[in-house]
Amino acid sequence: MNNKLFITLTPGKTFIDRLTGKTKVRLFILMIFILTATWDLRVIAPFFVLSIVMLISIKPDVKRNVAIIVFVLLMNLFNFFLTWIVRPDYGLTMVGASTVLFRFTDFFVVTAETLWYFLVRLVKFMASFLISLTFIQSITPSELAAGLHSIKVPYKICTIVSLAFRYIPDIHRDFNNIQISMQTRGMELDSRKAGLLTRMKQYVLILVPLIITSFDRIGNIANGMDLRGYGKKKDRTYYCEHDDVKGDKILRPLVWIFLLLLIGLWVLKIVYKPPFEVWAPWIK
Amino acid sequence: MSAVIEFKDFSFRYRQQQEFTLHDINLTIHKGEKVLILGPSGSGKTTLGNCINGLVPFSFNGEIKGSCKVFGMETKEESIFKISEHVGTVQQDADAQFVGLSVGEDIAFSLENDMVPRDIMLEKVDQTATVVGMENHLLSVPYNISGGQKQKVALAGILHNDVEILLFDEPLAALDPAMGMNAVDLIDKVYREQEKTVIIIEHRLEDVLYRHVDRIILINEGRIIRDTTPNELLRSDTLKANGIREPLYISALKNAGVEFNETDELDSIDDLKIERFKDQIVSDFRKVELKPVHRSDEKILEVKNVSFNYSDGFPALKNISFDLYKGEKISVVGSNGAGKSTLAKLLCGIIRPKEGEVIFHGENYLKYSIKELGTHIGYVMQNPNQMLVKDMIRDEIELALKLNHFSEQDIASRVESTLKMTGLYNMRNWPVSALSYGQRKRVTIASILALQPEVIILDEPTAGQDYLRYTEIMNFIEELNEKYNITILFVTHDMHLAIEYTDRAIVFHDGEMIGDDVVYKILSNDEIIKKASLKKTSLVTLAQKAGIDPEQYIHYFIEKEKEERKQ
Repeated sequence: MNNKLFITLTPGKTFIDRLTGKTKVRLFILMIFILTATWDLRVIAPFFVLSIVMLISIKPDVKRNVAIIVFVLLMNLFNFFLTWIVRPDYGLTMVGASTVLFRFTDFFVVTAETLWYFLVRLVKFMASFLISLTFIQSITPSELAAGLHSIKVPYKICTIVSLAFRYIPDIHRDFNNIQISMQTRGMELDSRKAGLLTRMKQYVLILVPLIITSFDRIGNIANGMDLRGYGKKKDRTYYCEHDDVKGDKILRPLVWIFLLLLIGLWVLKIVYKPPFEVWAPWIK
Repeated sequence: MSAVIEFKDFSFRYRQQQEFTLHDINLTIHKGEKVLILGPSGSGKTTLGNCINGLVPFSFNGEIKGSCKVFGMETKEESIFKISEHVGTVQQDADAQFVGLSVGEDIAFSLENDMVPRDIMLEKVDQTATVVGMENHLLSVPYNISGGQKQKVALAGILHNDVEILLFDEPLAALDPAMGMNAVDLIDKVYREQEKTVIIIEHRLEDVLYRHVDRIILINEGRIIRDTTPNELLRSDTLKANGIREPLYISALKNAGVEFNETDELDSIDDLKIERFKDQIVSDFRKVELKPVHRSDEKILEVKNVSFNYSDGFPALKNISFDLYKGEKISVVGSNGAGKSTLAKLLCGIIRPKEGEVIFHGENYLKYSIKELGTHIGYVMQNPNQMLVKDMIRDEIELALKLNHFSEQDIASRVESTLKMTGLYNMRNWPVSALSYGQRKRVTIASILALQPEVIILDEPTAGQDYLRYTEIMNFIEELNEKYNITILFVTHDMHLAIEYTDRAIVFHDGEMIGDDVVYKILSNDEIIKKASLKKTSLVTLAQKAGIDPEQYIHYFIEKEKEERKQ
């Protein structure tokens, strides 16, 4: 099967791949929370470096990853441009000062603070994005379920997550088949020959049989699960959740450090209530 | 022997339905028995199975009369979990019940639910995977293994916990002939080695009888018709009357006028004692003169040295060449993944050749779009539910015409003639949801016919169908071919279909075309049969035993069946 999605189904061999779902999920959630909690480049920068190292370490498909990273990067820059057009002096609200570097007109100015803010935002966003990319490409859906379960998410919710991943490729295949049959019946899905609205309407037609066949399947899946005792007990164990490997033991202190860091950031925010969110070295 | 399952005056009605699905079932199954529950589609056989494994009333609620005891437990008073500790079920849809993301994980599913610690779980998974021969595939993902392998995984998944009864619901439905034989063999092996009680629910009698069963329970319209030994059932005439296909060698013997008596061992062609029947078979047999095949000399499609590979580099078609004539009935056979479906897609223009060319009426077909080709070459999918998009039959049939921008007048007249051709005229304003499976199939064919194509490609038209529906669908298609001279191409692994309804077969194996000949020649060619994972038909064995040339014997059998069908 050609896997068009980024989902990994078979565990890989690198350091991160071999970790337990438990460690992967914890690290991921903590890192994302930390990155959301702060606008301080001194905190964000190390995570940015770390995210690059992590992504490279799992030896991902270069072509696919570069393509999506470039795309996200461009979208971000475009977004900055739009922000700047609307509020050229946005840095004032976020950083708390306005040092004009260049002036197009009275309104359209380039300030050091706005640039700084954009820089922080870019690094912050890219770090979160690269971490997510690493996470998605190094965890199998079952590990994800097991990992979520290890942080006390009810197992029925975890099952929904892993089942969704299990059947997405099947639904995708059904969709393709239905599309083919509709095309031979004369449905024009070529963008050069049919307008967007027509194509949208036609895709709705494809959805009808797709939904019906999917419902049939859901019934079968549910029965298959009942017959094998799903929901018999209050809890369950996971086949894929292997014992801790060396990596898990090495990373355990890191999980604690991240947790403390996160709590620290929250506490700081509550105690100090900084008037401006973004830290900049030249502002006291 | 102690009774493990006991039905007493048992009846069941689904909550959504008016009528009872099962009536007055009285049935006892003993420990260590191997039982076949046989019945046509809609006979209630699957419902009966669901009463045994507890899905009735756990998942399918309704009204129960009488009693059904499994290991002394009254099923309506017990939880499905309690029953599943004793009864392991392999469901029909091996793909849907594969809930894990790897083979190992799926086998472990019931252990996970039972909170078995992981170290014990690994050991048990290894054990049962070895029983079914999947121990080297534990890391494989469900998308990369075959239907047969999925079924093995499902079986492994229920062998834990020392279940005593193994229940198989239509285990052969999704398998090609060779895989089906393997499945029957595996069930038998597990039955013998693990000393379980085995219940198989099927309508494909001959395929199940590939290995011995102790008892057959024939069920139809929710009632038990016969509860007897295979031999006695095969002797009788109850099978055909109840929509079950007889094994071909039994039909052949009956056609030859053989009278069976009580000592005849009939349930296995290999053990059949031919001496008693030989003279009759030989005297009945006569050589059939080669008749010109019903087709014109006009070539519709010429496939010339076509190769195709998917983007992952896997070669799906290798240097294929054949011609398709107007009015032909042709079957494309081969195991799953041999290239049959790729060929169908190629002919519809959904994929185009990487090398070689396809000539349509003397012109390279690259000049036509999928849509244009679609009006000449229709494609009917295997599952009608994947094709039907409208609520009303009439709308469904109109759809292709509207999409192709026919004028209102043309649409009205074509819809009317299509409705008449397909016998759907009286139902034209019915909602599609009110139709049976066979009727839906008919509507999908009608929706393609409306475009008045010259060729119709049907993908597994009879998959999962019992003999009655199978005959209904196939006779209908045959009629279209004969009356309207439409060229029909079946993509199938059903050898019965190929034998009875087509003149010519193209055989695929690993993307290569390894045979293109009249059907009876293909079927008597051992090498092709083996390579293409087909099953040697029992007619060949019977002919060999009787000392007749198998090729001619099959030919004779086909002609005789055709004559009978015409009457």
